[in-house]
Amino acid sequence: MDTILSSIIPVLDSVRATLMNHKNVVATGVGYKVTEGRKTGQLSIVCSVERKVPLSSLLSHEILPESVDGIPTDVVPTGRIRVFEPPAGRFRPAPGGISVGHFEITAGTLGCLVRKNGELYMLSNNHVLANSNDASAGDAILQPGPYDGGKNPEDMIAELSEFVPISYTDAESQCPIANGVAEVCNLLASLTGSNSRLQAVTVQSAPNLVDAAIARILKPEDVKDEILGIGSVTGTAEGKLGMAVRKSGRTTGFTTGEIQQIDVTVNVSYGGGRVAQFRDQLLAGPMSQGGDSGSAVLDNDRKIVGLLFAGSDQTTIINRIQNVFSLLGVAL
Amino acid sequence: MRAWAVLLACLLSLSGLQCCGNETHMKSIQETKRTHETRLLALPDVVSVGIGMSADGDEAIIVGLAAPNPETQALIPQKLGEYPVIVRISGSVRAQ
Repeated sequence: MDTILSSIIPVLDSVRATLMNHKNVVATGVGYKVTEGRKTGQLSIVCSVERKVPLSSLLSHEILPESVDGIPTDVVPTGRIRVFEPPAGRFRPAPGGISVGHFEITAGTLGCLVRKNGELYMLSNNHVLANSNDASAGDAILQPGPYDGGKNPEDMIAELSEFVPISYTDAESQCPIANGVAEVCNLLASLTGSNSRLQAVTVQSAPNLVDAAIARILKPEDVKDEILGIGSVTGTAEGKLGMAVRKSGRTTGFTTGEIQQIDVTVNVSYGGGRVAQFRDQLLAGPMSQGGDSGSAVLDNDRKIVGLLFAGSDQTTIINRIQNVFSLLGVAL
Repeated sequence: MRAWAVLLACLLSLSGLQCCGNETHMKSIQETKRTHETRLLALPDVVSVGIGMSADGDEAIIVGLAAPNPETQALIPQKLGEYPVIVRISGSVRAQ
């Protein structure tokens, strides 16, 4: 077999340029010839074409030779070959794993589709669909997200429906009494020459479980119930120590990892000095970057185990999907 | 006199049972983590506390640090209850 192969490759090399110049040819290579839908044992020069056309519609010089130096050719329709579509682009229908975002944010990832009371919604993070609490029901959700060129209203695909508010720790207090006391003390401090100042802060005692939101899909035909590069979601599963997981996201595309910790309590930075504590999280190795937030995290059986929302150089932090579904009252 | 001895023996055996009961009641790793995590998370540079595996495959409490911090690391015990404590430098965790 190797001798046959080694004799075919030089022949192919000598005619490759000519073959590639034929109308419709998108690739040439060596492969087993397929006759009447069955693979034969005969090696051939395979010419891949965008589509097969009847010989009668081709001019004589456009017809590919039946053989080259005694080696048969095979013409295979493969369609146009494109560069893999980047997940930051515009998709209609839109699957999970691609760019999406509230009209006032940069961009995050569309996790997957979920249902509530018979209606179709997209699932992602609060900080992707609800601008980290700073949004109202009905706000425009764009695909792609604004950072990826999404425009309002042309690229509006959904409207914000519900989000689970994030409680930040050490947030500036909204309490007028506490702020008043702090102001008086600061005035006294400045009079006494002290450089120290007080700031009233609200300390949330209840930690968060999820960074999650749903947006109602405007037209069901604009979305696709699968995840780019993964396929359809087959159910839900509990994330366990050592479990192999995968995700498809706007920035790093398809990546895999392993659950290294469960029952994790973690402090997450939201920018602008805001920090929120989350408990009952899953922690995986590094498998994401900024913009991947909102990705659905699945096991190898394509069961969803979590919603990705944060990470560091060494870790990825994932909400348990059971918490996400129960707090939002949604199902697959 | 005999009645007193019996009563004393009963009391001793009861207290013995009580004592043994306490010794055999081992806190789960989840309970142990919950008991200590607030204190651990208050230490400078600590960003996470979770349950994972040690290199030997034993359940362990994993403390994540934003950056190496010798003072903080010196304050983290090597064991909490029955469970080993492992420090990992994870980097600071941000919403993505």
